[in-house]
Amino acid sequence: MDTATKLDVLTVAEAARLIAARKLSPVELTNAYLNRIAELDEQLNSFVTVTSDRARAEARAAEAEIAASGARSKLHGIPYCLKDIYDTAGIRTTAMSKLLADNVPARDAAVQTKLAEAGGILLGKNATWEFAHGGPSWDILFPPARNPWNTAYSPAGSSSGSAAAVAAGLAPATFGSDTGGSIRGPAAACGIAGLKPTYGLVSRRGVIPNCFSHDHAGPLAWTVEDIAILMQVIAGHDPEDPGSLDVPIPDFTAALIGDVRGLVIGVPWRWLEQDLPLKPATRAAFDAALDVFRGLGAELRDVSLPPIQQYEDVKKTIAVVELFTIHGQDLRERPELFGDCLRYRIIAGGLVRAEDYVRAMRHRSVLARAMQSVMATVDVLMLPTAEPAGKLEPVDPSSLFNRPSFTTAFNVSGNPALSVCSGFAENGMPFSLQIVGRVLDDATVLRVGDAYEKATPWRKRRPA
Amino acid sequence: MPDAVNRDEILLLARNAGLDLPAAYADQLVAAYADVSRMVANLPRRQGHADEPAHVFNPTAFLPGKA
Repeated sequence: MDTATKLDVLTVAEAARLIAARKLSPVELTNAYLNRIAELDEQLNSFVTVTSDRARAEARAAEAEIAASGARSKLHGIPYCLKDIYDTAGIRTTAMSKLLADNVPARDAAVQTKLAEAGGILLGKNATWEFAHGGPSWDILFPPARNPWNTAYSPAGSSSGSAAAVAAGLAPATFGSDTGGSIRGPAAACGIAGLKPTYGLVSRRGVIPNCFSHDHAGPLAWTVEDIAILMQVIAGHDPEDPGSLDVPIPDFTAALIGDVRGLVIGVPWRWLEQDLPLKPATRAAFDAALDVFRGLGAELRDVSLPPIQQYEDVKKTIAVVELFTIHGQDLRERPELFGDCLRYRIIAGGLVRAEDYVRAMRHRSVLARAMQSVMATVDVLMLPTAEPAGKLEPVDPSSLFNRPSFTTAFNVSGNPALSVCSGFAENGMPFSLQIVGRVLDDATVLRVGDAYEKATPWRKRRPA
Repeated sequence: MPDAVNRDEILLLARNAGLDLPAAYADQLVAAYADVSRMVANLPRRQGHADEPAHVFNPTAFLPGKA
């Protein structure tokens, strides 16, 4: 390739094609990203660790292997990053917490093992909210990440650095986690694609838990096509993850046929008009996205789901208890090491009665069943992922409990949910579209997202 | 969770949970408890006797070589 500026806007798919054709060197590509990180990340704080030497060594090895025997996978020779809650053997994994300031795992997370086997190049570890739950915070191990579209704005959380790094062209692919929207929210805020896969489709083993029963690991990238490539690498049964599903893995890229004619799209209008009304500009962007699908030949249908607040109350009751079980002993012995925001969000979990936890788990069954009943009548649901990002500033930690989201319901139900960019607000911040599929039909979600990206101009615009 | 409790009762509940907190964090706990109580109060009180919780025990997940 001729210039570094072209390299950092290559998608995974484009880079893979060039590497396979011997027109791009993994070493050249890796160096381009490392140089860009060195140049820009001081403004973004999207990385907490950059593994430069290791990345260059992996890139040299990939280059030699590809030259000798061809690429092992579409990820061979392609750089990527991990949220700093994925265990990486020999590399500090902090969850941005003072509690884990010196934590160096002995073993890789299952996802990292798969990425290494595919020949990917680990560039480093990305910023997160503390333990993927408390943030944004300024009193923890590292400062919060900033949004590349405007560094005064939030990249949302908790996979903040993962989304910011992709949007800024500091990495073509990153891997985050999503317990209530932590992949989709940052993807939405930063104008990229991010998938929360079906619960159990991607191993959580070695990913520091937030809330066991709702945690999902998944990819973030510039395009849905890249998400499909990354899912092909990381999806699959892991006997060491008790929640892992032992199911056939489809060919995700083959599903991207660019055609959505005849698909039935459900829209939970009551959520958008009554439960959590959209702001007018967000509604206009959403209406425009629906018009795109009408034009592509899809059928739109109103669907009725239980009130969105019920999903919030169930998830957060379960989460505050599970979080307390994970962090209770540290709260008792060294509460000062927690950031203020995270401490607030878990401290009352020890006071929730066992009866209330089980009651929430019982109602989760009711809500999941209601979701699957509706999903049986449509191919996908559609709704915005979130309102466009706001300023990066301290938030009242109680906002987590008092502000519903459009994402959490699908953690409760376990359905796959994808966020894609759906335009830009007057202030330049991205709008988002969320596409939700049937359980284990992640391929259709990707097919719909890819068709939308190809029918709209939003992937041509990058942060300045 | 109990429907109406005062600060002293919350701190007693905390001590019963093994949380003997410094004063600064006690204020935080009292505020957070109010948030969590509101959430819990919204959960259905009457559920069917046989309504199963969403987590189930799968004994095969714990065979040798698994998690």
